[in-house]
Amino acid sequence: MVRVKHRYLLLNFLYPTPDTTSTYKETIPELLQFNHPTSDQLNIGLLLKAIRGGVTELFGDYGVGVVNQGLKVNYLSTATSTAIIRCPRAHYQLVWAALTFMTKWPRPIDQPVVVKIVRVSGTIIKVEEEVIRRAKKIIERAKLADGTADAEGPVANIVKAARRRTERDVLVEVDEDRDRDSESDE
Amino acid sequence: MFYDLNVPWTDNNRELQRTIAFLDELGYDVVALTHTISGKLPADLTSPVPLPLPFSTPSRLRLLRRCNIFLNDAATNHRIPQLQQQYDILAARPTDEKTLRQACDTLDIDLISLDLTQRFQKHFKYKMFSTALSRGVRIEICYSQGILASDTTAKRNLISNVVQLIRVTRGRGLVLSSEAKSVLGLRAPSDVINLASVWGLGQERGKEGLTKEARSVVEFSRLKRTSFKGVVDVIYGGEKPVDGSAGKNENNKQNKVKRANAEAQKKRKADSMEGTPLSQSGEDKPLSKREIKRKKQQARLEGQQKGN
Repeated sequence: MVRVKHRYLLLNFLYPTPDTTSTYKETIPELLQFNHPTSDQLNIGLLLKAIRGGVTELFGDYGVGVVNQGLKVNYLSTATSTAIIRCPRAHYQLVWAALTFMTKWPRPIDQPVVVKIVRVSGTIIKVEEEVIRRAKKIIERAKLADGTADAEGPVANIVKAARRRTERDVLVEVDEDRDRDSESDE
Repeated sequence: MFYDLNVPWTDNNRELQRTIAFLDELGYDVVALTHTISGKLPADLTSPVPLPLPFSTPSRLRLLRRCNIFLNDAATNHRIPQLQQQYDILAARPTDEKTLRQACDTLDIDLISLDLTQRFQKHFKYKMFSTALSRGVRIEICYSQGILASDTTAKRNLISNVVQLIRVTRGRGLVLSSEAKSVLGLRAPSDVINLASVWGLGQERGKEGLTKEARSVVEFSRLKRTSFKGVVDVIYGGEKPVDGSAGKNENNKQNKVKRANAEAQKKRKADSMEGTPLSQSGEDKPLSKREIKRKKQQARLEGQQKGN
């Protein structure tokens, strides 16, 4: 059977500018400020609108036409500021670039935002695994920053905090096109 | 290791702290804080960037100082070598064709950072940039102006200039950096690489622009500052011998004499390899064994003759 090929992108919304609404902003560690929850006003329709707007701005009607067919929001969690979107495999880079160029949520929220792509995969299972892995990691980091991590004692925590990042931690893992050659057969 | 070699420095400490924390969050390891000098160079060239910074910074982030100079006139750039001692990286921003040529061909700088939001009168030439690359001067692409710019012409110019630069340099020797006027202009390394690949720079090249090329800029400029003619650098010269007691000194002396004797017996001294050759230095050539034998025999013969 012929299948339409997709790419699933895992997005992470970051908020680098100080939050003007909360009053106790100075006391929160920066890690939590950057990863603070997204406004509840963000729903799937609004996210799609933002993506389409971005693609139109960068790639015009052609870009939207090419991307629009397979664009879908599979998962959106405002509490953890993550989302999984699906887009056509041939043009996932357009969507990625449009998200990179995004600096602000559309009208009703109107909040500055930086969108970071965390994982690109051909199957949604891998992306879901990554979501869970990242959630665990960020809780660990928040505890480290807070000083409340106590599982392995203070020495282990210091070692963990000082450990250098490897390239793999930073770079997005993009799944290879294993079946590019078989594309013509379909 | 990911590098962002262009983060504008401000004396607004809170904003700077946020920017640096966000860069750490995104996964950068080395960040250069840029101080821009436009127009005439001031009398006092010392960097206004205090290092270490007056607030706590993430421990794994390395901070560098960088200077951006606007090249307005080709004639007034003779004090650049003095700047080199004050900053970790020296970048030039040529404003016209003539200064761009000068920056590529002769100026002693580390980076050429063009203002890509402008429209340039002429096409970039491969020859010009290839001389720059062969001298070890890299070319910088700042992506943030394209993200933050509100007017579309700036964005368009940026993209067209970047595409041209990629075409002209064949993707070699390009450094990707942000030049973000605010925190919102910063992007994670992978996002930048993807952006570059949309603009026509391959994935691998894009990654090199954030890692390998940027590192070579930092290391070259460090070598230029600290080493002898940018070639030889003494990392650890060893400790000076400590003067011990008198008896030890005597011992040393004896050792020295012994060593001198041993050296004299050697056929050729090691240091005669460099410096003036033996034939010119007037030093006695050590006798070969054959020569010694021959002389002995001669002496014996002479003794026999006398005896006769």
